[in-house]
Amino acid sequence: MLVKIKSVANVGLETTAIEVEVDVASAGFPGFNIVGLASKAVEEARERVKTAITNSGFDFPPKKITVNLAPADIPKDGAAYDLPIAVGILAASEQLMPMNANRMTTNDIFFGELSLDGSLRHTKGVLLVGLFAKDNAIYVPILSANEAAVVENVTVYPVRNLRELVDHFQDIEKIEPLAHLEIQELVSDANIDVDLADVAGQEQAKRALTIAAAGGHNLLMFGPPGTGKTMLAKGMAGILPPLSSQEALEVTRIYSVAGLLDSGESLIRRRPYRHPHHGVSPAGMVGGGSNPLPGEVSLSHLGVLFLDEMAEFPRSVLESLRQPMEDGTVSIVRASAHVSYPASFTLLAAVNPCPCGYLGHPRRECKCTDKMVRKYRSRISGPILDRIDLHVHVPAVEIEKLDSSAVGQSSLNIRNQVISTRKIQELRFKDEKIYTNSQMGNKQVKKYCQLMPDATRILKLAVEKFDLSARSYFRLIKVSRTIADLDNSDKILVNHMAEALQYRQQI
Amino acid sequence: MTIVGSRRMTDYGRRVIEKIVPQLVQDGWTIVSGFMYGVDKYVHQTCIECGGKTIAVLGWGIDQETDTKIIDSGGLLLSLWKDQKGTLWTFPARDRVMAALGHELIVVEAGQKSGSLITAEMAYKLKKPIWAVPGPITSSVSAGTNQLIADGKARMLTNFQFSIYNLQSNSNDPILKLIENQGLDASEIARRLGRSASDIGSELTMLMLKGEVEDREGKYYLRDTGGNERNM
Repeated sequence: MLVKIKSVANVGLETTAIEVEVDVASAGFPGFNIVGLASKAVEEARERVKTAITNSGFDFPPKKITVNLAPADIPKDGAAYDLPIAVGILAASEQLMPMNANRMTTNDIFFGELSLDGSLRHTKGVLLVGLFAKDNAIYVPILSANEAAVVENVTVYPVRNLRELVDHFQDIEKIEPLAHLEIQELVSDANIDVDLADVAGQEQAKRALTIAAAGGHNLLMFGPPGTGKTMLAKGMAGILPPLSSQEALEVTRIYSVAGLLDSGESLIRRRPYRHPHHGVSPAGMVGGGSNPLPGEVSLSHLGVLFLDEMAEFPRSVLESLRQPMEDGTVSIVRASAHVSYPASFTLLAAVNPCPCGYLGHPRRECKCTDKMVRKYRSRISGPILDRIDLHVHVPAVEIEKLDSSAVGQSSLNIRNQVISTRKIQELRFKDEKIYTNSQMGNKQVKKYCQLMPDATRILKLAVEKFDLSARSYFRLIKVSRTIADLDNSDKILVNHMAEALQYRQQI
Repeated sequence: MTIVGSRRMTDYGRRVIEKIVPQLVQDGWTIVSGFMYGVDKYVHQTCIECGGKTIAVLGWGIDQETDTKIIDSGGLLLSLWKDQKGTLWTFPARDRVMAALGHELIVVEAGQKSGSLITAEMAYKLKKPIWAVPGPITSSVSAGTNQLIADGKARMLTNFQFSIYNLQSNSNDPILKLIENQGLDASEIARRLGRSASDIGSELTMLMLKGEVEDREGKYYLRDTGGNERNM
């Protein structure tokens, strides 16, 4: 008997319908074959399905079983086809009577990995299944079902194990569908590991962090070791605003595909903050693999990507950041697929001024030769520096000057400023497809950034004096827009522009 | 400051205006020009964009159709006549007024036998300092300015520090006092003055643009001007 079950394949963030055809033949030698460009993980479904069916107290039919995953030309990967195959076999061997149970419509989607005992395991990509299935029912592992519950108009059946699923179809005991989870504009608690109030001095750097968080601007900190660059960067995580519901869905999609959602988690509310080590490979940074998975740039989408000791990263890795920094997306081309992931992140970078780190230090002498310094600085190419909005010095601080200094603003305080500034931007860009000032194109800069004549004047003066490029001209306007927003000012005043000029490119 | 130049402005002339006018406005100058298309118009326009004040001296009578943008920006329109068409003799008369109005004169671009040279001649007679922007000797609109330099009537304009007349300079500025003897970084200045990093940052930029402060490796130092930058 032939049974057709619906499932899906996720290639990148694209979801395609897959039909799982299961035939249990009445003639022929017993056997179990899967065809349809199945990867190794899908091939191994044979053993998992067979054992799970037996261990759930059903009979695995000793007949010739053929499974076809159609369309046959799309490569299928992952263990999520376990469930549709198992359901197909049970139906085809008439142990599950879907036809008269009238509960299983042909449009129901099955998706999930089986354990040998017949229970279902946490499976990645369930949110995408939910988004794809609009208006239909989906049967997914109970551990991952919360992901899909935020999607409207979809009936999500959380399945614990095969036995429960069969009972459900045979009306013995029904599975209750998950209630729809409203995506609320809830303000999640701040995640403050390092409070900026605890970082001694460095008021200018803290201000730059505030601007970066408020407007989503890229920030480069440079200064000798031990001045608090890394600590300041950790403090950045605590002042980031929570994700809006739309943003949360975008981020969760990526994490769902990457399989990085914890079981039971529904939606990511905390803005991503990633800090890959400088040993990262280009594929790890931008994404890759034969079935391309998102890399660090996509995992920090709408959040922060922190590169500590940026000059230590391989040049190829840094250069690979150029396209995502410009376009906000990254395209990965592999033999099996062409995948595009969103990658609109805020780059936070820290560098030393030279290899030994003490160039320009008030007391310690620098041991590097001029050639070494030049070589070190040339590792970060001009095009990358040109895409960084804010450049700030983090100088060495003399300890004796610190104890008397007044306590700076707390992270909680700064975060509230950042949140209200983001609200202003949200309102400003409600008709555009962007969220922050840093994402503005030149056209939008002209539309939304009204400079007062004084501000225009000092910008023009500065362009001459500091020999700024056309790109940095627009960048300065964007930064001054954020500073004006922090000041709750509709127009960009001269002091806003003057402050923005403090953070111009200097190396 | 009176700025005059050719009606046939080149790209070079445009760039020069974009460089010097914002600096002059920043230093507190009011800019006088002749309301004619070419260099004059662009001088007025750039000045208004930068929030500066400008005086236009017309070579014809002011009537209803005269553009009032200059007045709207707080500037002044001047003319010797009420109803008078611009003719051969009105422009030299206008040139004399411009030469007399300004403390100094800058000639951006001027051809041989041009109105700009008449203005320069008047200013020379009035013993006002004249600056001429040098240009390629192959360019017809730089022939006049180069001639002024060659004749010794004008000094060559090579950089843009008019700091002796820096009307906004304020040596009582607490920031300048603080960094008089030592270089400090922005956070340190903010801490010592008990003010926010954002305020101090924007003030430091303004001081840098005025040429009073310079930065090296993140620290700010008093710029050693030697008291007289006029020796251009």
